[in-house]
Amino acid sequence: MMTATAPAERDRRITELADPESGHDRSRIPGGRRSPAQVALHVLLAGMAVFVLMPVILVVSTTLKTPADVRVNPFGLFSSFSLQNIIDAWTVGRFSDYVLNSFLLTVPSTAIVVVVSVMAGYTFARLPFRGRTVLFYLVVLGLLVPFFTYMIPLYFQLRGMGLLDTLPGAILVLASTGTSFGTFFMRAFFSDLPQELEQSARVDGASEVQIFTRIMLPLVGSGIGALTVFTFLANWNNFLIPLLYLPSGDFRPLTAGLYMFTSGRSLDIGPLAAGTLITILPIIVLFVVLQRQVTQGFISGAVKG
Amino acid sequence: MSTASRSLAPTVTRRAQARLGIVLVLPVMIVTALFFLFPLGNAVYYSLVDFDGLNPNPPFVGLGNFIRMVEDPAVWHALGNNLIWILVGTAAPMVVGLLVAMLLWTVRRGGAIYRVIFFLPYVLPGVAIGIVWGWIYDPVNGLLNQFLRSIGLGAWATGWLGEPDLALYAVLLTAIWAGTGFAIVIFLSALRNVDTELVDAARIDGANSAQRLWFIILPQIMPVFLMVLTLTLVGGFSVFDIIFVMTAGGPANATEVLGTYAYDQAFVLNNIGYGTTLALLITILSVPIAVLLNRLQRRLSLQGTGA
Repeated sequence: MMTATAPAERDRRITELADPESGHDRSRIPGGRRSPAQVALHVLLAGMAVFVLMPVILVVSTTLKTPADVRVNPFGLFSSFSLQNIIDAWTVGRFSDYVLNSFLLTVPSTAIVVVVSVMAGYTFARLPFRGRTVLFYLVVLGLLVPFFTYMIPLYFQLRGMGLLDTLPGAILVLASTGTSFGTFFMRAFFSDLPQELEQSARVDGASEVQIFTRIMLPLVGSGIGALTVFTFLANWNNFLIPLLYLPSGDFRPLTAGLYMFTSGRSLDIGPLAAGTLITILPIIVLFVVLQRQVTQGFISGAVKG
Repeated sequence: MSTASRSLAPTVTRRAQARLGIVLVLPVMIVTALFFLFPLGNAVYYSLVDFDGLNPNPPFVGLGNFIRMVEDPAVWHALGNNLIWILVGTAAPMVVGLLVAMLLWTVRRGGAIYRVIFFLPYVLPGVAIGIVWGWIYDPVNGLLNQFLRSIGLGAWATGWLGEPDLALYAVLLTAIWAGTGFAIVIFLSALRNVDTELVDAARIDGANSAQRLWFIILPQIMPVFLMVLTLTLVGGFSVFDIIFVMTAGGPANATEVLGTYAYDQAFVLNNIGYGTTLALLITILSVPIAVLLNRLQRRLSLQGTGA
């Protein structure tokens, strides 16, 4: 009983951090719900929200213009309506390919990061062996060294391995940039689980594998969920890896495709806006639907770091 | 915790744990060795040779690349831009983030909606952000110039990204727009853990709101403050995407930073050895700062829990 409540307690705490309506005792703040101070506060915050959302509004507005209107007045807000830009971007602009490639790169690399990090995180938290600390520092070194530092040698290494300009090569590199954080993150979750849990399971005759898969793994579900969303976003948004390691363009994802579109035909603002919208729409949907998990993931990731 | 289990567990258990541990840790070690440690070692090697990307046996030049780097005025120029980027790009999100978090802390209803909106730019890809902000800064039709004209400041309208004196700060503003949401959300979560009884006690003792912020609230969120500081500072050295997309280091190198300069040297000019040396400089500069701030943060968190 005792042992099972502790991780739940931790989850509740993190959820509270991410939930504005709980945790803090609102009754202490002076001023009623409709007090002038609260109204002024909302006016100020709403103004800031419009400023923050303006670039996104601009993308939607320019996407939905008629091509003729884009040529005359590309950034006037919502002055005409047409779906032509989306159709052009999807077909002529090859954004249908880019969407597919983005999923082909992001889904497997995210899966690899999560599986590998869960396994390693469990080991570094709960399975001691000689030399483990050194291995942990080697993995976590990846958090300190920017990708920039070794991206150039990695290019020639991939070329030598025959992995340059291939999906598996880009997927493995994307995955490798996420495993340091993932391992570190999952280790923190497994470390929080109480010692008594595995001891009692061991007394009951559970093997080490069973303790990991049947007892420990189900208790870090929230951590796995947060890591999955976090890694998916990071890999979907990654620009440098496809730019460098997928040069021919056959497997170009949305970010690199969008960049190539700007350098190729910079005057086609309508389809470019549509392409930008296609790139950010999945992220916005994912973020709004899972906003609690996303912010929780970022907060606990940062706080644990 | 791990040392306790080692001393308590019987030998059979310890052996079984070690066996499983080695199996479970193998994949991450393979990935780390192959795609991180090996290229990192190669980066050190590349910095000591004059590699053009073709010659399989590039000539050894010792510290030649490093000497060239110190004597290259473009490096110092880029480094200066990195410093501006780090100072402004760290200070602004920290200050604005704290202020907005304090506002959200005191709002009674609807705080969740603002939080989602403010955080959104942080999860968007740098390429998309760069493209859209390029339109906002557009000299003819850009929203910024339209706005300035509409409020009678048309004289200020200019080609923001084309002016060498302004371009870096224009891109910086975009980065601040994109990054401040992270600071807001983290600070807000830290503020929720602030002991409100202490704040109330200070209020009763006659502390004004500035004093309450400085003496009561800030010390309690200091570890989180330092953590955000570390992440933003270190990110400031390796900034790339947003500058690469918006200005590519131009106009006339006005926005060149170490990242874009290293990229150009390696992938445009084929000076692989030199480009790698520049990229190594980014690590050499950022790692000590990260370690130092992390130590400080740890010490403060320990003090916080101890008191």
